[in-house]
Amino acid sequence: MPYYDEIELGDEIGPVEKVATDDDVVNFCDIWGAPKPNRFTDADTAAKSGMKGTIVPGIMTMAMMAQLLTDWGGPGSLKDLDLVFRQPVPHNRPLTMAATITDLREEDGQNLVECDILMTGTEGERYIGGKAIVALEGR
Amino acid sequence: MAMELEYDRSLYGVEHQAGPFEITDEIIDRANSSIGESGPAFSSDDGAKEAGYRGRIAPPTLCCILVRQVALPDVKVQFGKTQMHAGQRVEPKAPVYAGDQLTASSHLKDVYTKTGRSGTMVFVVWETTFSNQDGQVVAEVQESFARRE
Repeated sequence: MPYYDEIELGDEIGPVEKVATDDDVVNFCDIWGAPKPNRFTDADTAAKSGMKGTIVPGIMTMAMMAQLLTDWGGPGSLKDLDLVFRQPVPHNRPLTMAATITDLREEDGQNLVECDILMTGTEGERYIGGKAIVALEGR
Repeated sequence: MAMELEYDRSLYGVEHQAGPFEITDEIIDRANSSIGESGPAFSSDDGAKEAGYRGRIAPPTLCCILVRQVALPDVKVQFGKTQMHAGQRVEPKAPVYAGDQLTASSHLKDVYTKTGRSGTMVFVVWETTFSNQDGQVVAEVQESFARRE
């Protein structure tokens, strides 16, 4: 894990590329028993909602974005993740996640690292954007 | 001039309780396998203890999944036909351990309009606080839903 003192404004976290497969999405939806059919796992239902195909649930993309940050800062490092779902996220396509550090501050005894975080597609799609705060140890 | 929105304003100030939700190993396993999470603290007691926890912990967005199981009332917004999940925020406050029993308390936080290039949209924002069996707050989750003309 990086130390707070090593981080500089503008540093990048990632990028990391992942694919959410059909099976991954079915598995994820079963966690909360998503009513079926739904636009996440059924193409006809997705089409009726105006989608080009089945989509990845926002909360699943959120879990993927959080993973980028906890892989970097440690399992308990995430303090805030605030995302805007800008476009439907497709299954079976490369999704690139990355964050850029925008602020460093010490607050309530914690070393906080604030960043802009983004999920993009191969054609320049900006699927999800937002902000995150991660707490790091100092040296 | 601002549009006068019609919706059920009596929902403000009302807390909707849900749970308990048991955080089983199976739920954590499934959340992990869906996104290829293999972090030691999220995978086993031993891995978590090495990271300084008393036992296996859940990934930090698990409460965002549980919030799907909270039945919330219809806000009865008289606007638009389609609704989409526009955004979500989680602020983890304390570790969620395998075996925890979480309860949720949700309230309507805000309903507002926003006009941009693609027209006017109405946003409905719910805020949910998750607490564990000891009454400790473990996460705050905000969900926002957008209705389009």
